[in-house]
Amino acid sequence: MRFNLGEFEEIVLLVVAAQNDKAYGLSVTTAIEKELQRSVTMSSVHTALYRLEEKGLVKSEVGGTTKSRGGRRKRIFMISAAGKEALLQAKDARTHLWSMIPKIVFESR
Amino acid sequence: MSSKNTIQPPKWADKFFMWYCKNELAESILGDLHERYEFYRKEYSLIRSNYLYWMDILRFINRHTLQRTSNRKTFIPTIMLKNYTLVALRNIKRNKAFTMINVIGLSISMAVCLLILATIDDQTSYDEFHAQRENIYRVTHERLNAEVNLPIATTPMPLGDKLRNEYAGLEHIVQFRRGFSGEIVDNGKAININGYYTNPEVFDLFDFELEVGNPSTALSEPSSVVLRKDIAEKFFRDKDPMGQDLNVEGLGQFKVTGVLKELPGKTHINFEALSSFSTVASLEKQEILGESLSDWEKLSTGWVYFNFKEEPKLDDLQYTLNRISDENYNEDSEYEVVFGIQKMTDITPGPFMGNQIGQSMPNFFIYGLVVLAILIMTCAAFNYANLTTARALTRFKEVGVRKVMGSTKGQVIIQFIIEAVLVSLFSLLLAIGLLKLLIPAFESLNLSSILEWKLNPDTKVYVQFLVFSLVTGIATGFFPSLYMSSVKPINALNGSGGPKMSGIGLRKSLIVTQLVISIVLIISSTLVHRQIKYMMTRDYGFQRNNIVNVALQGQDFDLLKPALEKLPFVEQVSGANNIPNIGRHDDIEIRKTVSDEAEDYNYFSVDENYIGNLQIKLVAGTNFTPKQTEEREVIINEQAAESLGFADPSEAIGSNVILGDSTNVNIVGVVKNYNFMILYMEIRPLLLRYNPEEFEWAQAKVTGANPIQELKELESVWAGFDPNHEFDYKYFDDQIEEFYAMFYDIVYIIGLISILSIVIAGMGLLGIATYSIQTRLKEVGIRKILGAEGKNLVLLLGKSFFIMIVVSTLIGGLISFFGNKAWLELFAYRITFGYDILGIAFLFIIVVGGLTIGTQTWKAMRTNPADILRNE
Repeated sequence: MRFNLGEFEEIVLLVVAAQNDKAYGLSVTTAIEKELQRSVTMSSVHTALYRLEEKGLVKSEVGGTTKSRGGRRKRIFMISAAGKEALLQAKDARTHLWSMIPKIVFESR
Repeated sequence: MSSKNTIQPPKWADKFFMWYCKNELAESILGDLHERYEFYRKEYSLIRSNYLYWMDILRFINRHTLQRTSNRKTFIPTIMLKNYTLVALRNIKRNKAFTMINVIGLSISMAVCLLILATIDDQTSYDEFHAQRENIYRVTHERLNAEVNLPIATTPMPLGDKLRNEYAGLEHIVQFRRGFSGEIVDNGKAININGYYTNPEVFDLFDFELEVGNPSTALSEPSSVVLRKDIAEKFFRDKDPMGQDLNVEGLGQFKVTGVLKELPGKTHINFEALSSFSTVASLEKQEILGESLSDWEKLSTGWVYFNFKEEPKLDDLQYTLNRISDENYNEDSEYEVVFGIQKMTDITPGPFMGNQIGQSMPNFFIYGLVVLAILIMTCAAFNYANLTTARALTRFKEVGVRKVMGSTKGQVIIQFIIEAVLVSLFSLLLAIGLLKLLIPAFESLNLSSILEWKLNPDTKVYVQFLVFSLVTGIATGFFPSLYMSSVKPINALNGSGGPKMSGIGLRKSLIVTQLVISIVLIISSTLVHRQIKYMMTRDYGFQRNNIVNVALQGQDFDLLKPALEKLPFVEQVSGANNIPNIGRHDDIEIRKTVSDEAEDYNYFSVDENYIGNLQIKLVAGTNFTPKQTEEREVIINEQAAESLGFADPSEAIGSNVILGDSTNVNIVGVVKNYNFMILYMEIRPLLLRYNPEEFEWAQAKVTGANPIQELKELESVWAGFDPNHEFDYKYFDDQIEEFYAMFYDIVYIIGLISILSIVIAGMGLLGIATYSIQTRLKEVGIRKILGAEGKNLVLLLGKSFFIMIVVSTLIGGLISFFGNKAWLELFAYRITFGYDILGIAFLFIIVVGGLTIGTQTWKAMRTNPADILRNE
């Protein structure tokens, strides 16, 4: 099965996988901002997460309460088996493309 | 440093978010947002943080957050429908009294509305059988220099040819000319016939089909006539009418060249027979008909209908019409006329116009009926709402349980609307039954025969009824269902009742509105009734008891008079051209000398017995000299004496005046003013002329001892004179009463509606009384235990209703005072708006209110306190 991952979706999915069972909307947002130096709005991250959930690439469940959020529970996102497959496919696709680049392209630099 | 609690994001932003996001995502998103806000506050100023927070909130508006919890939204309770219907039916059965009130109230008002629906349906069904109906127009006119600016349906006769010659875009032009009417004497019986002269194209333009005869030639020869089927059957019975001769009195011999098929529907063009247009020229040459064919000043003789060859170009045609009117009229001509174009489908119901070719219902009548229907239905719907919410007290638990079991607000609303629709469908059945009773009563009204009401509801009308009752059901059920659905299950189940009745003020004002409407209607119908009674019983200034008016129908008065006077019970016979007080009047120009400006006065042609017979008082001078052969004398009334410039009636005696062009007459007498016109007009100057040539009526003064016998003998005298005509007589009293009968119809209708509104308002009162007393039963119980007396309790419970009744009487009294004053002032002779009328209305409302509230209060007082308080 082929997965269709957008660039931003792929990043979000990678972060979710990286944070391993601790990913939620805000944590993913701050991770992207911090690790990639890229400014994103929280709503676009959330939207991406929901879209990924619709595609079956992440699962979500409501976590326990925390004091800092006025008692509101977090929605924790976890990567699904399909999500892992999708990431691997994306990675393979890139490696394959990388391998096709003649060495000369970078050497001329 | 401030405590953590102070780091709170803007409240309004949160509220806004919670408003637009109503699904399971809300909690986690808002949590994230708050966490983010804490982060903002560490980095930025308060204002900047708030701004960023707002931006975040706004950015979250997307399809994920806007989506409602999906499984609920899409759930259509089809499986529940059966249950709702079942529960509704059980409820209807259980609360028989409530259901009765609802069904009766709704069905009475529905019946009236259905009647109105059927009437409107009937009145909008004119001319539907003409295939070209959307493309048929007629020319109308309006006189610019007239006193009253009323559009008139007729046009001058030459317009037809002018249009044929000067405007090429018309396909068929059909002209109708009046004047084809007269008696046809057949087998010793005279039958009246009424119709028009028209050109053969009438069969091309309109879908009047011929049963026999050739449509293209039937109306081409002069003196041909095409008969309506029923008329042909009346004249010729079994004989073949084709080619038969018809002798129309005064017009000559006509040949029947065709018989129309029965019309498939109603048409606004009202005729019994059509004669060929070519007849007109010869009749006008013989001076049987007045000259009209080339006379642009004769504005009321004919009608012009036409259609366009292709697409209607109304502006083009209007331009031509304007040119034609400019050519023929200018400021110096007697009339200044502008032409207009009217589409046939806009004729009836249509604007109020003069000289219609048949009957036509004015638009405002339809609008009035619609407003009435809406008014009535609103009152009935108010009541349903009031009663259902009152009854709902017992059903909060049901709603509570339903909600706990997973019912949504929408489902509860649907449930209660279904119930209302069921009640409204029951009412429809009853209403249709009532309608069957109402229709004959309605059709017997004079008004209805004038407007040709034929109320035979067909399938289409019944479908309308069904739709109407469904809409009524939904509309009436809407408010109660909203109310019921807002019940919070926790409140309903722990017994603390439903949502607070914030609508009580609203419902009280609804009741007051209903009462006001009833009061205005009661007062108005009483006033109209009194005014008519007043007009009929008023002293007219002349005597009309025991006078039989016999229509001369062309017979010689001088011969009939002695024959009538021979009868022992006839005291005296006088002749006249017209009956006073039924709205008809004749005018003649009068001036004192040739050089004076002439004025128009009303006149009656009478003889020397007239004044004695009608017991009109002479204030000066004498009666006519009997048996004059030439018109030499005239009698005037006081008003005329005054307006002719005589200071005293006696001064007028012996003066000479000129009537019309050159009739010199002497004033021999002055009579006291008496009402010869309809009573809403002031008495005007009047002339009594001695002019037997114009007589149309013989007025016989009889003893009246044995009316039936007297009439018989009068009739036998008549039969000896004129076997061809039926004896046409009327008692003077009856004749005037007949004229006012139409007004009685109006009283009848308003009266009926006011009774209806009282019934509805009474039911509304009953509903609200039931509710408010039921909610206070415990209070009443406690008060009784503590020793409250009956009258205190009545005062306690009845006070607010009494206030409502007083308030509505005041408002209703004011409205009806000013409203009725407006129309009463049109009458020169009128009754005054008395306090007794207000009193009657007040009493009426008090009685109705007292009965409804009284019974409820009585019931509350009679209840044993132990029964009410046992549960506590």
